Amino acid sequence: MRRFDHSETVDAVVIGTGAGGAPIITRLAQAGMSVVALEAGRRWNPARDFATDEDAQTPLFWNDERLSAGGDPLAFGANNSGTGVGGSTLHFTAYTPRAQADDFRLKSDFGVAVDWPFGVEEIEPYYDELERFLGVAGPENYPWGPARGPYPLPAHMPNGAAELMARGCEPLGIKTSLAPNAALSVRRDGDGYGDRGVCTNRGFCQAGCSTGAKASTDVTFLPLAEAAGAEIRENAYVTKLETGPDGRITGVVYRKDGVDHRQPCRTVFLCAGAIESPRLLLLNALGNSSGQVGRNFMAHTGMQVWGVFYEEVRPNKGIPGALISEDTHRPKDADFAGGYLLQSIGVMPVTYATQVARGRGLWGETLTRHMENYNHIAGINILGDCLPSPGNFMELSEELDGQGLPKPRIHFTNGDNEKRMAAHAEKIMREIWSRAGARDLWSFPRNAHIIGTCRMGTGAGEAVVDPECRSFDVPNLYVMDNSVFPTALGVNPALTIMALSLRAADRFIARAARGET
Amino acid sequence: MMNSQSLKPGAIAAVLNTDHVTEATRAALKTRLAWSPPAEPKCFGPEDFAVLTAVCERLVPQPHPDRQVALAARLDERLAGGVGDGWRYDALPPDRIAIAQGIMGIDQTARALLHNGFCDLSPTEQDQVLCAVQQGSPPGEVWKTLDAKRFFEDLLAQVCELYYSHPYAQERIGYIGMADAQGFHALGLNRRDPVENEAYDAPV
Repeated sequence: MRRFDHSETVDAVVIGTGAGGAPIITRLAQAGMSVVALEAGRRWNPARDFATDEDAQTPLFWNDERLSAGGDPLAFGANNSGTGVGGSTLHFTAYTPRAQADDFRLKSDFGVAVDWPFGVEEIEPYYDELERFLGVAGPENYPWGPARGPYPLPAHMPNGAAELMARGCEPLGIKTSLAPNAALSVRRDGDGYGDRGVCTNRGFCQAGCSTGAKASTDVTFLPLAEAAGAEIRENAYVTKLETGPDGRITGVVYRKDGVDHRQPCRTVFLCAGAIESPRLLLLNALGNSSGQVGRNFMAHTGMQVWGVFYEEVRPNKGIPGALISEDTHRPKDADFAGGYLLQSIGVMPVTYATQVARGRGLWGETLTRHMENYNHIAGINILGDCLPSPGNFMELSEELDGQGLPKPRIHFTNGDNEKRMAAHAEKIMREIWSRAGARDLWSFPRNAHIIGTCRMGTGAGEAVVDPECRSFDVPNLYVMDNSVFPTALGVNPALTIMALSLRAADRFIARAARGET
Repeated sequence: MMNSQSLKPGAIAAVLNTDHVTEATRAALKTRLAWSPPAEPKCFGPEDFAVLTAVCERLVPQPHPDRQVALAARLDERLAGGVGDGWRYDALPPDRIAIAQGIMGIDQTARALLHNGFCDLSPTEQDQVLCAVQQGSPPGEVWKTLDAKRFFEDLLAQVCELYYSHPYAQERIGYIGMADAQGFHALGLNRRDPVENEAYDAPV
């Protein structure tokens, strides 16, 4: 790996190496720019470090404490984060459906929230590129959205929950399909990043893939980035963005092994996720002339329904999200804006037990008897849109963390739209699970993913970054992760974050080629 | 229904000694099995620790005397380590303080409702106290400033995490996913990989 000196002014510092950072790091290095990536976490060796054990994998998550407030306070940590080289892609479930055209225009179609400043056509070429590059496994003919060819790799085998979902949906006339997942279903070579290994169906995607089958950025983009000359510094926790008299950023200060270092640079890409990115801006009082930094925090509607089945399911086995339906993308009988997708889900025992504890409040023999059904448990889940709301935001609290910096406090309450969507989905999922033969049905209302907080838009007064993800206030600062989403979209975010990141990188490279800075 | 409820005691310890388990997984589980509590708790005085122990016994009853996971001691160890899980309810103080206060609160509720300390109540009476705390408005001085519902939910979730991470609990629920070295290839309903069948027959 190439190393840059602290006295050298590099073309770009990228903060974060997940779905937002890694594509930019790679593209810029491949374009011949000098790039230093600062990653707060460590570099993992998945084959050596990753155990098939939930407790042993807890260091994989962002464990600095966040304070959860509001009517529906969110769980962080294992619920929606990752840490280390690869960022949150170390945690993502590999689930990679594309957003659809109408996801980007809730304002036009429903008169709520905002439209994105561009449509799906801007990112479709990147979806195509990413599905090939990551090795997405999926069906020959995906039934929803515009017609396109087969996914690059054959779909993963359905597990028990997928069989049950197909069985329950069929009599209700709900169409299902094997789902797209960015995990290798078969061996393949020639992508430039080396041998990744094939999925072994441990079902452990969310707690770290030990084989390299899952397309987390540490086994896809980042090896290419390093080969192209980017430097990735691990355990580098960014605390300051320094500016010059003209307001431009001149360098980034980070803490590594207890010592502060400064890396001078010409441009900063802030890709630390929808809590840490706005937190860094607020800590540095930067880029917030709109007052929108930290605002519009969103979390996907993620209602789950669980049941106990006569058959043996063994919910720890197989790719967790094996079956999908997007028939509920725009339901005809909806009393809400937007929509959701349905997915079958796997689950690990500790995760399931804590959900039963928190969601159902079971304890004592009622709990232990229920848990003895573990091998007969199956779940179904939605991933639904979430509207921005003034009451949902992150702020800096007065309480300090281990770094001596204010902990973030996140206020979140589901609005009427999310509540109506969740109720609609719960009814359908209970019907599906009843038809599939479930007993002891129970629902777990939850929210997934962290989105918003540095909104992208066309007007400096109403958004933090422009449609190219550049700060309206600081011309050499870009934010490129899930925080720029103007609305949440009714699909899992990782594929779209990567697509936006590639788009932002290409725009930046084109701008640099024109001599603009 | 296939018999998939429980594995024989010792089945997981046995599989850990085979090549069905990767080194990383084996190391994690062997460490957990070998762990024994320190002589004295680090975050609780003896009386509070006795209450915590009694509470854990009601939250997750463990019927087999030789398969006991020392939940209170493990929770004490976790709190002493100070490693968080990335979040907490804004309504609660930091974990160590919240649990210390809540344990005092449970004892206060026991005295207010049943005129006896929590440890001196019958299991049925203890459950009555815990129900009052879970429902959110129990009597007791502590609960004037500590959110009882959130405290109870958090304590229960932590105890569940500690218990179901342990091979004793995993044997009880028939989980053998730690046999990860060859992966799993028999997917779908009523299908078992060889290692899953072997786990039921393994001599222990």
